[in-house]
Amino acid sequence: MNALTNYFKSLFLLELFRGLGVTGRYLFKRKFTVMYPEEKAPVSPRFRGLHAQRRYPNGEERCIACKLCEATCPALAITIEAEPRDDGSRRTTRYDIDLFKCIFCGYCQESCPVDAIVETRLYEYHFENREDSLMTKAKLLAMGDKYESQIAADLEAQAKHR
Amino acid sequence: MVTIEVNGRELKAKAGDMLIEVTDEAGIDIPRFCYHKKLSISASCRQCLVEVKNAPKPLPACATPVMEGMKVFTRSPLALAAQKGTMEFLLINHPLDCPICDQGGECELQDVAVACGSDASRFVEGKRVVPAKNIGPLIATEMTRCIHCTRCVRFGEEIAGIREMGATGRGEHMVIGTYIEKSIDSELSGNIIDLCPVGALTSKPFRFSARAWELTQVEGVAPHDSVGSNLHLHLRSNKVMRVAPKDNESINECWISDRDRFSYQGLYSDDRLTVPKIKQSGEWQDVTWEVALDMAAAGLQEIGEGEQIATLVSPSSTLEELYLAQKVTRGLGSNNIDYRLRQGDFRLDGAEPAFSWLGLKISEIENLNAALLVGSNTRKEQPILAHNLRKAAVSGAKVHFINPLQLELNYTAGQQLTTPAGMVQSLAAVAKALGATGEGAAAKVIDKAVADDDAKAIASALKDADKAAVMLGNIAAAHPDYSILCVLASVVANASGATFGFLAEAANSVGARLAGAMPHLLPGAKVAAEKGLDVMKLQKLPRKGYLLLGAEPGYDFWDAGLTRNALESADLVVALNTHTSPALEAAADIMLPIAAFAETSGTYVNTAGEWQSFRGAVKPLGEARPAWKVLRVLGNLLDQEDCEYTSSEQVRDELASLCEGVMPDNSVGKTESADLQSAVDGLIRIGDVPPYALDSLVRRASALQQTKDAAPAAICINAEEAKKAGLADCDSAVVTQDGREATLPVSIDANIPDGCVRISAGLAGTETLGAQFGEVTLEKA
Amino acid sequence: MNTIEVNNKADIFSTEIRGEIDQWVAKYPADWKQSAVMAALRIVQDANGGWLTTELMNDVAAYLDMAPIAVYEVATFYSMYELKPVGKHKICICTNVSCMINNSDRVVDHLEDRLGIKLGQTTEDGRFTLKEVECLGACGGAPMMQIGKQYYENLTPEIIDSILEGLE
Repeated sequence: MNALTNYFKSLFLLELFRGLGVTGRYLFKRKFTVMYPEEKAPVSPRFRGLHAQRRYPNGEERCIACKLCEATCPALAITIEAEPRDDGSRRTTRYDIDLFKCIFCGYCQESCPVDAIVETRLYEYHFENREDSLMTKAKLLAMGDKYESQIAADLEAQAKHR
Repeated sequence: MVTIEVNGRELKAKAGDMLIEVTDEAGIDIPRFCYHKKLSISASCRQCLVEVKNAPKPLPACATPVMEGMKVFTRSPLALAAQKGTMEFLLINHPLDCPICDQGGECELQDVAVACGSDASRFVEGKRVVPAKNIGPLIATEMTRCIHCTRCVRFGEEIAGIREMGATGRGEHMVIGTYIEKSIDSELSGNIIDLCPVGALTSKPFRFSARAWELTQVEGVAPHDSVGSNLHLHLRSNKVMRVAPKDNESINECWISDRDRFSYQGLYSDDRLTVPKIKQSGEWQDVTWEVALDMAAAGLQEIGEGEQIATLVSPSSTLEELYLAQKVTRGLGSNNIDYRLRQGDFRLDGAEPAFSWLGLKISEIENLNAALLVGSNTRKEQPILAHNLRKAAVSGAKVHFINPLQLELNYTAGQQLTTPAGMVQSLAAVAKALGATGEGAAAKVIDKAVADDDAKAIASALKDADKAAVMLGNIAAAHPDYSILCVLASVVANASGATFGFLAEAANSVGARLAGAMPHLLPGAKVAAEKGLDVMKLQKLPRKGYLLLGAEPGYDFWDAGLTRNALESADLVVALNTHTSPALEAAADIMLPIAAFAETSGTYVNTAGEWQSFRGAVKPLGEARPAWKVLRVLGNLLDQEDCEYTSSEQVRDELASLCEGVMPDNSVGKTESADLQSAVDGLIRIGDVPPYALDSLVRRASALQQTKDAAPAAICINAEEAKKAGLADCDSAVVTQDGREATLPVSIDANIPDGCVRISAGLAGTETLGAQFGEVTLEKA
Repeated sequence: MNTIEVNNKADIFSTEIRGEIDQWVAKYPADWKQSAVMAALRIVQDANGGWLTTELMNDVAAYLDMAPIAVYEVATFYSMYELKPVGKHKICICTNVSCMINNSDRVVDHLEDRLGIKLGQTTEDGRFTLKEVECLGACGGAPMMQIGKQYYENLTPEIIDSILEGLE
């Protein structure tokens, strides 16, 4: 009995017409498509995009080389070297994030006791050279300087979830 | 023995033991901060509170003696509440700055806070801040983090023997520190870094450079003094980041000296040799290993006559290196190999003990009732032995020194301060007071000696003691009359029933004898049929070719000037070194970079005759290679037989089989020559080697070089002698020795006897001078 | 050992001071010389116008064969030892429980107003130093203060005024 039903279903292309029915229905519905790059999808304040390092309002870099981000990074993407700065404070001499390794899990941001390393909303970037995949300290700080107002607002917005 | 019950488990314990000792033994964990097994009990932190049945309140486990039938609960609700309450109080003033604290990740406070602390504090008032004081180049302080456990204070008083830190102020204003701005100068000071349960005292050279969880721990053996302290090397990305002690109750307990702890910095100094170099028309050129080794082999073969080749090896080299060095040298037909670079007298060769050693185990020193140390600044030379000796002295042992300089000691001891020639007389006087006559040269010296009150006091101390020891130190070994001192010390020991021993200079001084790195001894400390020349003769009668292993001209030799002349006149000098220096570059023709401490596998035999092998912890820097490999390849290139080793263990096992049945032995023969070479008309130089000038590595350890013990070279002289020499108010003077001059600052020092001037060896500025002990003249600069 | 080296102990302190310290030293067993440290510090402090310098403490350490830090510990622990110059009259006001209940705050306020200084300070003319101390054992007469070696009890602003006027 079952075999007979299937035979007729396939003979009259029933499945095909049912599928086309769906297509036809959506043809006249409101469109979801975002016309990237002219249009952009909305981004949450908790979005985990490209990394940045922040500074305090007085210009002092926040990172204190505690290396918790390095320890927590599941992809081993972060490399930190540290030593006492001339004024005796604890600072990094090297802070690299390998974007080829990074899985954008956001653990670094979560582990940071001073909100120094953050993930911004930025997701549009590319490399032209292999070595560009390394986010160095200078690049991270430049990112931070550029997007500080956005980063601060985002941190404020998600503060209640942290 | 009593029986107690802890958490329902029955434990046997010695009556009078503290509860925490019993639970530690049984592996039951009780949190603690102030308690430390090697320090006295202060019971000040209150973290180890436990519940004891029928006691009205929780009791501190560290200060509660066990009693029969005691029922203890370490994890009961009452105990846990007490521990939690204590933790809350301890954290009241703790800054909780773990992210910037070097102790973070290995902090006892962190661990205990996680184990029995609360997640939030109820303390809303302001926390106190304690300004940090600079206590020297080795230890970084952050006293705001201090929880007042007083371990560092008790360490200073009980172990280091110098009370430098204390608790000043009261109540909330109590501060641990030095009160006045002063550096901590103890040679064991680094241990307070390990003792501090929080991040208040941390290592300054290591500061902020790595985290505990990034470090890999590898075992090692200390490369400097002859104690062979056991180490833990902490590594990160193929670099030694810091050094910590490894517990070994029979050797270093849980301490190490500052020299062993901080010398690793020398590994990364700019002076490291990292590529093989050859000298071509006066210019140094980097070459490949093939070129350099071929040149070295060809050069050595060209010399032809075996006795024209001399191998001078550093006693800090490993057993394997020394064994292969003598193998290569003897393969070239030469017996001219010596490790005794800083020995001042070789008249006893042949009659001295072949496998000389401390005479007793290191842990037995603390049980001595009397000791006589001749020519030894053991506190700086072998700090861990000195710590054991101090333990003996504090518990009543009578310790005496016969030295050419007054020592700063951390216990009460008799010190005979005399000239080098006077040392021989003093020791002879002790022998005479003991009624000994001696034979040969000793008989003549003893005969002339007068047993004064001092000598009688030493003699009776040694004789009356249950366990006594007579020991010769580094200064004695460098003494121009070492042979006579050695014989006399042996006579004194025999006459008083004391143990006779040698406080060997370097990590492998004892091992060098077993490896056969001596002109008259073959491996296994067997007497050679054909004798070579000793290190002194090898320099006085210059050879055509020299092979240096880890020895730095200018710093590592008894007579720096003599070494320079000898090496200058040689046709070929092949130097296997870890570091380079202007003196080495001037002397050598080929420099082969070898692996330094922590980079090579090997074995050291400590002064108590214990063999301790270790593995290479990190890769050698640059092109450097372990010296045993270099020597092996050199042996191959020289077509020597049986030189096909594939591991250092193979070399060690071969030597071990040769050493089978060789027992340490300190019996001394006799010497005929009773000439006192140390008797001079004018001023005699006391050329002791300061602790941080001992070897290539420590000379380049930057933090140690800033300490008080690393004072730059100076002319130290007492006020009266300075006046006689017309130097009473001079800043600097010209010192002349064997026709060579050096200008050095003058320092008036009451610790130097009349007729002597202390110009320490191994320091920059003394490379041009002569013997460590020899006549000098002083002149106003 | 771990003490300050001195060639001759007779070079430290004047004969009178040494005599006084020796009297205290004699009260203890011969190998417990350090027991006299508190008395020695007091004697030295009195002779130095009421306060101790680090050098004086080092001298005491040398004289009693103690480690200097052990002397600093004693001197900083007890409030009777002053480590900074003090005025001619050191006014110690108890603010511990009994005095506090009996309104020692008013005593403090009044003294601060009258002298124009805060607790722990010295007047510009160097006559008075105000110091807050813990219980001096005169709770029966709370609130109380100590000036020099004299106790003054049951204080009111009027009594305080009359006491201060009575001082030179």
